[in-house]
Amino acid sequence: MSDPRIDEALRPMLPRLRRFALWLARDPHAADDLVQSTVERALSKWASRREDESLRAWLFAILYRLFLDGNRRASRYALLLGSLREAEPTWPSAERVAIANSTLAAFAALPVEQRSLLLWITVEGMSYQEVADILEIPIGTVMSRLSRARRALRLLGEGGAETPPLRLLK
Amino acid sequence: MNTTPPSEHDIHAYVDGHLDGARRGEVERYLSRHPERADEVHAWRQDAQQLRTLLAGDLGTTPAQDAAMDPVVIRTQRHGRRMARAAMAAGLVLCLALGGIGGWVARGMGNGSSAPMADAMQAYQLLAVDHGVGMDITTGNEGDLRAWLAGRVGATVHLPDLADAGFRPMGGRLFATDQGPAAMVLYDDGNGHTVSFYVRPPGAARHLLPRGEREDNGLLANYWSDGWHNYAVVALADAAGRAAAQRVVIKSI
Repeated sequence: MSDPRIDEALRPMLPRLRRFALWLARDPHAADDLVQSTVERALSKWASRREDESLRAWLFAILYRLFLDGNRRASRYALLLGSLREAEPTWPSAERVAIANSTLAAFAALPVEQRSLLLWITVEGMSYQEVADILEIPIGTVMSRLSRARRALRLLGEGGAETPPLRLLK
Repeated sequence: MNTTPPSEHDIHAYVDGHLDGARRGEVERYLSRHPERADEVHAWRQDAQQLRTLLAGDLGTTPAQDAAMDPVVIRTQRHGRRMARAAMAAGLVLCLALGGIGGWVARGMGNGSSAPMADAMQAYQLLAVDHGVGMDITTGNEGDLRAWLAGRVGATVHLPDLADAGFRPMGGRLFATDQGPAAMVLYDDGNGHTVSFYVRPPGAARHLLPRGEREDNGLLANYWSDGWHNYAVVALADAAGRAAAQRVVIKSI
């Protein structure tokens, strides 16, 4: 099943997928792996895709699930290895990436789902329905989670970059 | 004048610029009368605008990254991997088949006539020859050893009294076998001759041994069964060992 039309449809999406992966995994190599796995999955599941489904939402959903599955697996291994620390640390490479901008620093410090919501809606300009499809939740729930994400971003951004995680705990 | 606040959906749609003129006007009118809410919504708008600008730079990719992500490349890799997996699966099937045949043959060997009580000989090798492991119980008291055996291997285990043959017990050790817990008691005649008395349950298959004798790797094993357990007496396969084993076996059975 090597249809060049599939490749043509996928190609323009790749930089967007990589940007999303970059902000999910917060590591360039992990991001590349995520995108490659996503393309692989998309190629093998292409036939099962609904025609009316947005290709962009479909691809973002694949990547998002792959990332969550990977995280879950990582935390399972962490448990097996006797380490009880959280599998998802707050942005470990904040210093490495040197986020000068307080909005970016706040964005990086958000929980995975809030970060994804804001990226899909405000940056990618996806519709609320597309996001509801990705997360498999009602559109009303998307709205309330989006409010929470926007407030969290505000809260983190206003406090500057000093101790963002503490502010979330109130 | 309409005073109902706009829905959460409309507020977000306003922030994201998805509203058409009429509804957009409604939201703007509402916000002009609610400055606190307006502050928040305008801040959200600003944040969204900022994020869009700041993340635009992350869309750039290097040619190497483009190549690594390209569907054509990934499809080719996937094909190669699938072939490798198929080859590996075929190899695995072959290994399983060979292992199965080998295991079946080995099963016949270990279970049947060719190497009975090999575990007893290994136990002797380990304790009396290599001194690789220590005893679980060290005592010359036969009463204690009988109680120890009864508690661990079975109440019907018959521990021979070898004092007449010149052998005194030194201690014992337990072993785990496929058939269940086995025990070995070491005897010594005071002249450097060591003989072991080994007992093991017959296992779920109730495989009871006929009386027999065999030599392997410098060790001599005599074995038999009393209907409840399998027994073995193991000694070194030299003249002194043979003589000692002979005396022990006569007293044991």
